Amino acid sequence: MKGDLRSAVLVTSWPAYLIVAVGALIMLTPFYFMFVFATHSRTEIFNLPPPLWFGDHLVDNLTKLTERLPLWHNLGWSIYVALASTLLTLLFCSMAGYAFALFEFRFKRSLFALVMATMLLPSFMNMIPTFMIMDVLGWIDQHRALYIPGAASAFGIFLMRQFALTAVPRDLIEAARMDGCGEFAIYWLIVLPLLRPALGTLGLITFIASWNNFIGPLIVMRSVENYTLPLALRSMQSTTNTEWGALMAGAAIATIPLMILFVVSSRQLIAGLTTGAVK
Amino acid sequence: MLTRRALLAMGLMSTMPVLASSSIKPRKLTVAAFPNVDAIIKAAIQQWQQLHPNVYIEVVSRQYADHHTAMTTALSTSVYLPDVMALESSYLGRFAQGGGLEDLLREPYRIDQYRSRCVAYAYEQATNRRGAVVAMPTDIGPGTMLYRADLLAKAGLTASDLAGSWDAYVDVGVKIKAATGAYLVSNIRAIKDVVIRSGIGPGEGLYFDQESRVLVTAPRFQRAFKLSQKVRRNKLDAKVNAWSNEWAEAFKRGKLFTELSGAWMAGQLSTWVAPDTKGLWRAAQLPESNFVSFGGTFYAIPRQAAAANKALAWDFIQLLTLNRERQFAAFKSQDAFPALLETHNDPFLEEPLPFLGGQRARLLWREAAHQITATQVHKQDSFAEEVINNELDNVLDNDKDIGRALADAHRLLERRSHR
Amino acid sequence: MRLPAIFRISPRWAPYVLISPFLGLFAVFGVFPLLFSLYLAFQSWEPTGGLQAMEYVGLANFTFALQDEWFWKALGNTAWLALASGLPQHLVGIPLAVFIHLSFKRLRVRDSIAGIYFLPFITSTVAITILFSSLFSTDYGLINAVLHALTGTENIDWLGKPLYVKPTIAFIVFWRYLGFNVVLYLAALQTIPKDIYEAAEMDGAGRWQQFWCITLPSLRPMIFFGVTLSVIGGLQLFEEPFILTDKGRGGPDQAGMTSAIYLYRMAFDFNDFGGASAMSWLLFIIVALMTWLTNRAFRPRKGSV
Repeated sequence: MKGDLRSAVLVTSWPAYLIVAVGALIMLTPFYFMFVFATHSRTEIFNLPPPLWFGDHLVDNLTKLTERLPLWHNLGWSIYVALASTLLTLLFCSMAGYAFALFEFRFKRSLFALVMATMLLPSFMNMIPTFMIMDVLGWIDQHRALYIPGAASAFGIFLMRQFALTAVPRDLIEAARMDGCGEFAIYWLIVLPLLRPALGTLGLITFIASWNNFIGPLIVMRSVENYTLPLALRSMQSTTNTEWGALMAGAAIATIPLMILFVVSSRQLIAGLTTGAVK
Repeated sequence: MLTRRALLAMGLMSTMPVLASSSIKPRKLTVAAFPNVDAIIKAAIQQWQQLHPNVYIEVVSRQYADHHTAMTTALSTSVYLPDVMALESSYLGRFAQGGGLEDLLREPYRIDQYRSRCVAYAYEQATNRRGAVVAMPTDIGPGTMLYRADLLAKAGLTASDLAGSWDAYVDVGVKIKAATGAYLVSNIRAIKDVVIRSGIGPGEGLYFDQESRVLVTAPRFQRAFKLSQKVRRNKLDAKVNAWSNEWAEAFKRGKLFTELSGAWMAGQLSTWVAPDTKGLWRAAQLPESNFVSFGGTFYAIPRQAAAANKALAWDFIQLLTLNRERQFAAFKSQDAFPALLETHNDPFLEEPLPFLGGQRARLLWREAAHQITATQVHKQDSFAEEVINNELDNVLDNDKDIGRALADAHRLLERRSHR
Repeated sequence: MRLPAIFRISPRWAPYVLISPFLGLFAVFGVFPLLFSLYLAFQSWEPTGGLQAMEYVGLANFTFALQDEWFWKALGNTAWLALASGLPQHLVGIPLAVFIHLSFKRLRVRDSIAGIYFLPFITSTVAITILFSSLFSTDYGLINAVLHALTGTENIDWLGKPLYVKPTIAFIVFWRYLGFNVVLYLAALQTIPKDIYEAAEMDGAGRWQQFWCITLPSLRPMIFFGVTLSVIGGLQLFEEPFILTDKGRGGPDQAGMTSAIYLYRMAFDFNDFGGASAMSWLLFIIVALMTWLTNRAFRPRKGSV
């Protein structure tokens, strides 16, 4: 019985491998084209079919890009904001997620409903009031306006809570308390390590979201030197006369840090609990 | 003029000792714009600093739609407003009615003294319903028809066959399609958009009149829809959107016989869309001598902007809009057709254009610029445009009756007209 | 780690301290915008006129919204797109994650494959815009070329005909978020203790039985999370249709105009912030209702919330 099923799985699995491979190809295609386009002039990009192989306009595109934008400033700010936003988000969301998953306290249900509700509101309706708050705080054109307000994101809290529900055993927490461990120590030394896979996921998603965010910077940023990359790149786009080649080169530059990050962190992201204390 | 105003501003300040010292300290003017107006502004900075060595210009540049969104946000809360904002003509109507922009008729601007120096329709476009002039025109987009002379010759036709009525235009299109396979237009909406702009009565806007009555059942709409139907039945439209890959490709492959657009389109075609088609194109006036505007740029001063900078902001706007050199620089580098009339008699306009086979097309565009009349703008114009486009699609794709289509549009617009 | 007694908090107060950053940030950046938009829903406001241009209009914005054809059209589009793009993300994502989890034992290989599927999620939208407009191009596009070669069909005007706009957008949303869900499920799969499977195998359970009886139930909290995100994300779908359709207007006959796009356009294209606010509150009620239903459907049988 067992053996039959095993072999059945094996027999049916080569089409599955094929599907996974074709799927992977579909996922990779746009990425490839972005780099190809980055090496072409806009006239070539607007050919049909579009260029399929690398061209020789990369230097040209990069020159145009650096002429129009303080590119390295923008890149630096993007990295800074994304890192700050990731660290703060991981901290705040893991704290709140842990609380919602493993504590019983008054107003827990209504507070969690509030968390969920904040996720439901269309964010751009907040543009004008947010602008007013930033003005009152004196945060216009300040990068903290980009990473502080969203740091306790409902999405992150929700993810952490869902993950903590299965990943953090209540008994372990109770045992630690019995041993005289303080609440902060429990969070820092026991809960955080257990949440690692989800922290990796949330960290990556937060980093990417911050990296690609342009509505936030659009509202608060005023000087081109302080722009983050997406806003800077968008500011090159006109209705009629966009330097698409240079823009694609910029898009490629904007994606490379994410790729590096992904390669470095993917182990962490889905590597699992190899050193877990419990399982 | 400019320097006198600047001197005046300086003089006013020197009467106040506190301000006098601040006039020596470097000051800053913030100018918000979108590509490629930002490039035009940056190019003017050097000349500006010769006049005002102490006044630094900061250009805040955003993507076209982002810029107008950011300006809406800034005006709505009256904080962090730029000293000067660039506005594109399709947004101008919405911004003009709101009352957030300085009325330039007032002191110290007195824009009326420059009225005769600007292209008439552009100046009128900046005038809102209360009579305030809220922006200064800097460039305009006189409508033109670009066509492929080589395809015309291939079909054994001449330019005179093309000139004249819309029916003649469509007839030529049929022959061109038969002889060369090229489409008459990239998108049928271009034809509709020109036809609905002809024969607008006094006090009427494009879709609404001054009392917000809906006008879309007027004969000009009926005619535009019927003509579009005829074009579609003869399969003369390529059904591609401007600025798409297919659109650019159709130009490169000679699949498009004409393009109805602003004069600036010739520059776009020659610099990057289809540079290899150099010499094959010619320009002509739109059929039935319709004079229509395709875009244009204005500068405005927010009412709540820093009061101390307003005179300087106006100086800067004057440099950009009333200085021949600046207007020409923008014309040459960005194909921004000048709104300043005194540039229109320059020999530059008589130069032959190689992309158009040596034609002196700027003279044509100048004539168009002088013939265009301004239309009343309405807050719901952009909504109305879409409703009309939908109904046009319904007529063309689903054979909806034209009368019913326009009646449906009328009903939808009536609900909106007073919002 | 030993802390001075003053920093030691009792378990009773710990949860409040733990959620205090959320409460603090919400109080500063969440409450005011909410009240502002609620207030605005009862005003007529031309935003370029400044704050003083507001005018109280009672329920007029709500009655306008409820009678507005485009509001309902956008809502219909949104529901269609949320279903057509959301369901496949999980119906494909869960088996795919399980397959990757089981078939690629070497972590490096597994991570690379998950990474590839995750790529669309990090690709810049500018690149996507250009790429898809050329892939879906009617006369020269790769997709039509492949379809023609395979089935001999006529070229389809993917982004120009109301009928095809929605499936095109749904496909792209699916393409973009599939990897995201795969990564979520892979992370959750790591937490299922291996000994459960070993025990099941001892008892003679086949892979299918293991999948149905162990994997799926263990994934339940993550499925709840993923589906909730898809519902919320689907009902707030903005970016993909915005960048794919001409000028972000939602395409021909507004077939790709979602509620979120319509709200944005009401505010910034039509400068009608009062109407937009009223609509956003109506939408909020609808989304909250949908989320509540999802919550009921996937809620863990025991435990709180």
